[in-house]
Amino acid sequence: MAHDKVVPIDEAVARVEPGMTLALGGFLGQGVPLTLVRALLRRDVGDLEIWSNDGGYGADGVVELVLAGLVRRLHCCHIGYTPEVGRAVEEGRCALDWVPQGNLIEMLRCGGAGLGGFLTPVGVGTAVEAGHEVVTVDGVKYIWERAVRADVALVRAHAGDTCGNLCFRGTSRNYNTVVATCGDFVIAEVEHVYNVGELDPEKVHTPGVFVDAVVRSDVTYCGVAR
Amino acid sequence: MNAQQEDRCVIAARAALELEDGQVTNLGAGIPMLVANYIPEHIDVVIQSENGIVGVGPVSRPGTEDPDRRNAGNLYVTLLPGGCYFDTATSFAMIRSGRVAATMLGTLQVDGEGNIANYEMPGRRIGMGGAMDLVAGARRVFVLTEHCTKQGAPKLVRRCTLPLTGAGECDVIITERALFRRYPGRGFVLEEVARGHTLEEVAACTEMAYAAADDVRLDAYG
Repeated sequence: MAHDKVVPIDEAVARVEPGMTLALGGFLGQGVPLTLVRALLRRDVGDLEIWSNDGGYGADGVVELVLAGLVRRLHCCHIGYTPEVGRAVEEGRCALDWVPQGNLIEMLRCGGAGLGGFLTPVGVGTAVEAGHEVVTVDGVKYIWERAVRADVALVRAHAGDTCGNLCFRGTSRNYNTVVATCGDFVIAEVEHVYNVGELDPEKVHTPGVFVDAVVRSDVTYCGVAR
Repeated sequence: MNAQQEDRCVIAARAALELEDGQVTNLGAGIPMLVANYIPEHIDVVIQSENGIVGVGPVSRPGTEDPDRRNAGNLYVTLLPGGCYFDTATSFAMIRSGRVAATMLGTLQVDGEGNIANYEMPGRRIGMGGAMDLVAGARRVFVLTEHCTKQGAPKLVRRCTLPLTGAGECDVIITERALFRRYPGRGFVLEEVARGHTLEEVAACTEMAYAAADDVRLDAYG
């Protein structure tokens, strides 16, 4: 139980290979695993398929990977705060798939929960319907949406212990609890790392069994609102 | 304040009067976020923001910002007593299951069928964020928008030509000039014309099909 999962960050991101699918926690500038994003930039590993809420905020986040040419395809629901991602899509440097926010989180949740997919009313009658089977249950139309798993999942937690138990804080929890379940290899960057036994078990949001590697977060600045 | 900012405040102030005591409400980016400034004192509205917070209070005063306490527009906010945080899956369970009574959002286009298009136009990709889930799940959907684009083109159009955020989801449209409410089988009904505007002027700048109410209020919006 008390297996020590703390590793140097470059060792953790060495698990990311070209062509892999990644899922990232975070919402605009909140709870984004920026230390890990920057380690990926250093590793310069490309052809990535990314699942994330958004393109980041301003110059921070997924936009950094897109501008470095490391992203083949981005699945997200918002790039309004990162117009440079829009430009990259316009110029064919990165493909973009829109996924409504609630569908996006549920695809990742199913992937992390051993489920194959789910039925959602969201997107019926819109462009989201394309390529999906529509199922009618009790007279209501639903889109049959599939589950998604990532090769590597990246999250950011406020606190965690060396065996990977994680606690999130405020609105930085957002996608992180779910993303921590949907990866074959899950890396958590943690702002405050505690020894085993020091975290209150009642306060743990993500059990360490989901987490494969813990790295220290060294980015305190995170997408500050203007 | 310039004319455009004034129009936005007029829309927000009128929209605030639509909120009911105790309702959980989601306010989208832009004009809807201004609505929080105009909620009448005797109305206790619970504001939900889809990034995972309910009980959102006023924007944080300088020096009290917390990077882990923001709204879905990434702005630093306060949390009112009774408010709490949750993850995105819980947030959208709340939204899809009808716990959010009202959602207010901006738009690029809206039409007489209640179709809303607000996330993408040629050369400008924004993204739907949580808007598709909100218009599908919230019990009442309010579109808050300037009546026309900056170039003067109607935003209340005959038929949406941009990708839809939701099909047949809009219940109420509030602009700086008029308020339209949609009724089953009747479509949109013009119920109020704001002070300083006329029925004829509203007709001239509205492409969308609507009927004027018999008792349409002129010089409305307080």
